[in-house]
Amino acid sequence: MSTVRNIFRRRLRAFLTIFGITIGVFALVVMGSMAEKINLLIDGGTRYYSDKVIISDASTSMGAISTTPISVGRIPEIENVPGVARASASVYMLLKKDQGMSMGVPQGIMGTDMRQVGYEKFKLTMAAGRDLAPSDRGKAVVGSDVAKALNAQVGKRIELRGEMFEVVGIYNKTLTAPDNTVTISMADVQALLYAQLPSIIQQQVKPEQLATGITAYPQSGVDPNQLATTIQGTVSGVNANGPKAFTDQFKSATKIFNSIIFGVALISLLVGGLSVVNTMTMSVFERTREIGIRKAIGASHRQIVGQFLIESAMIGFLGGVTGLALGWITSIAVNAVMASSGTVLFLVTPRLALGSLAFAIVLGVGSGFYPSLHAARLKPVLALRYE
Amino acid sequence: MKSIISATGLTKRYQLGKDNFVDALRGASVDVGAGEMVAIMGPSGCGKSTMLHMMGCLDNPDGGQVQLNGRRVDNLGGGAITKLLREEIGFIFQGFNLVPTMSAIDNVAIAAQYAGKSRREANRLAQEALDRVGLADRADHRPNELSGGQQQRVAVARALVNGPSVILGDEPTGNLDSTSSAEVIDMMREINLTTGTTFVLVTHDPDVAEACDRVIHMRDGLVIEETAAIGIWEGAPCGTDAAVAVC
Ligand SMILES: Nc1ncnc2c1ncn2[C@@H]1O[C@H](COP(=O)(O)OP(=O)(O)OP(=O)(O)O)[C@@H](O)[C@H]1O
Ligand SMILES: [Mg+2]
Repeated sequence: MSTVRNIFRRRLRAFLTIFGITIGVFALVVMGSMAEKINLLIDGGTRYYSDKVIISDASTSMGAISTTPISVGRIPEIENVPGVARASASVYMLLKKDQGMSMGVPQGIMGTDMRQVGYEKFKLTMAAGRDLAPSDRGKAVVGSDVAKALNAQVGKRIELRGEMFEVVGIYNKTLTAPDNTVTISMADVQALLYAQLPSIIQQQVKPEQLATGITAYPQSGVDPNQLATTIQGTVSGVNANGPKAFTDQFKSATKIFNSIIFGVALISLLVGGLSVVNTMTMSVFERTREIGIRKAIGASHRQIVGQFLIESAMIGFLGGVTGLALGWITSIAVNAVMASSGTVLFLVTPRLALGSLAFAIVLGVGSGFYPSLHAARLKPVLALRYE
Repeated sequence: MKSIISATGLTKRYQLGKDNFVDALRGASVDVGAGEMVAIMGPSGCGKSTMLHMMGCLDNPDGGQVQLNGRRVDNLGGGAITKLLREEIGFIFQGFNLVPTMSAIDNVAIAAQYAGKSRREANRLAQEALDRVGLADRADHRPNELSGGQQQRVAVARALVNGPSVILGDEPTGNLDSTSSAEVIDMMREINLTTGTTFVLVTHDPDVAEACDRVIHMRDGLVIEETAAIGIWEGAPCGTDAAVAVC
């Protein structure tokens, strides 16, 4: 109690100092919750790609979203490569034609030839309705974020690239890519993709031959990275990427993001820390006489240091709590506003919440240390002569 | 009478500039007996506070010695001084004596806590000490909710709480009107006579001097004279030393 009263002896100064830490922690929570969301996304991606080889047309640069179609007819050739247990074709396209840059995973439409069933380890569970059956036409199963964006409910109809589909199921949240994906049958997505192709290409391909990628599942004991190299070497005109290609790409993205967080933390450390140093130094100066009296009645060095450290820790704590609360509220509010576009930008995880609070307290203690030491070293006589 | 504080030949020089200094003490000697209540008087700047601080180990003399209970204390290290301040010596200062953000009882209890008492025990002792100075009903008041006299009585309670053998006061009534002043003086004298706690009080206040057993006069950093005071204490029961003049 006395600690809090001491801090608020100079009310405006206390508020300003706490506010400084609040801003720092706020920035940390907002940036951090963005990073946490992206880290989870990447985590999911890493898990998804960990046991397979993604094959696309050689003219496609890289990644799951390929621009040039690959023919379904290449599956037998790929399955003949030693080490391949199964190959499965899929079509992936963006939900909206002119989808601008977006944070996180873009919304997409996906269909597979179902050959992956029994080989794919990344399992999706139903939040509502049922999963897609091979014979379904004109039916869709929707990921949880995109469901919000499209206002999709089981039994209702949604529009995908100008065609109407009936929603038969909604997947549980995975916190990664499938949350932003609508799954429809292979034939349906092939038709959608075919309709988008320039007419010159349309003349050269048949819709039922269209795929954007082929996924190869290795036999047990076969290293997927090794297999990617083998496929690349034996099958002509394709790009084969093992898990490593994806994790490398993800890693660099995480690195950039983590350094941004680190930068924010550093700046708030500096700004918040200096203002606590300033406040505590002033406070020690103003309370010179009090310190003298405390020492005259038997306070040891350690007891004086402890008293001031508790005060600066309290300043850090108060700033941390308000910063965390504001950051949390902001992330919830922004998520709510962006929900209509299907983007979930922030995720405040327990470790982030506790981490930023601990950060604020450590900041308070760290910057209160020197002023406290200074207080403890004051000579009692000099302190007592001070009025 | 057994001596409790004996200071001999204390000198202290404050260097202000290269050739500019003040000799606050120039070989002052004082001897205080156990259970005595003495006043130190003298013009402003003559070194009274400096001397008191040395008796209470808050300051080191340049020359001379201080003994407390027969033990030399002017050359002690920080830890030993802290221990002494906790167990042997109590302080009362002129004004702004209390921590403004703490209640009366907390102001007293903190001294007991510094001395290593548990919070509970410290609170019990503090309550007792406040009772002693007649402020039991003001325990939860903050200093700014107390009169000047009451604040000084809290300071007396704080000086008492660890049961020291000596209480040192630097102008304890300096900021008080005569009524509150008399209250505080009576209180100190009563404690002195009933517990045998030694009091050394630096003062300009003749009323304080009057209540003491002896007055030590200082000038220019030296003790120049000692006079026996009347030792009046208005509240003294007849038959005690202090009551001689009253009865
Ligand atoms: N820290 C210091 N630095 C320089 N000079 C000092 C210091 N402390 C005390 N002095 C000087 O030493 C002398 C004695 O000071 P002291 O405080 O002991 O006087 P005092 O008798 O208590 O006076 P007062 O009755 O006004 O309180 C004074 O001249 C004072 O200016
Ligand atoms: Mg003085």
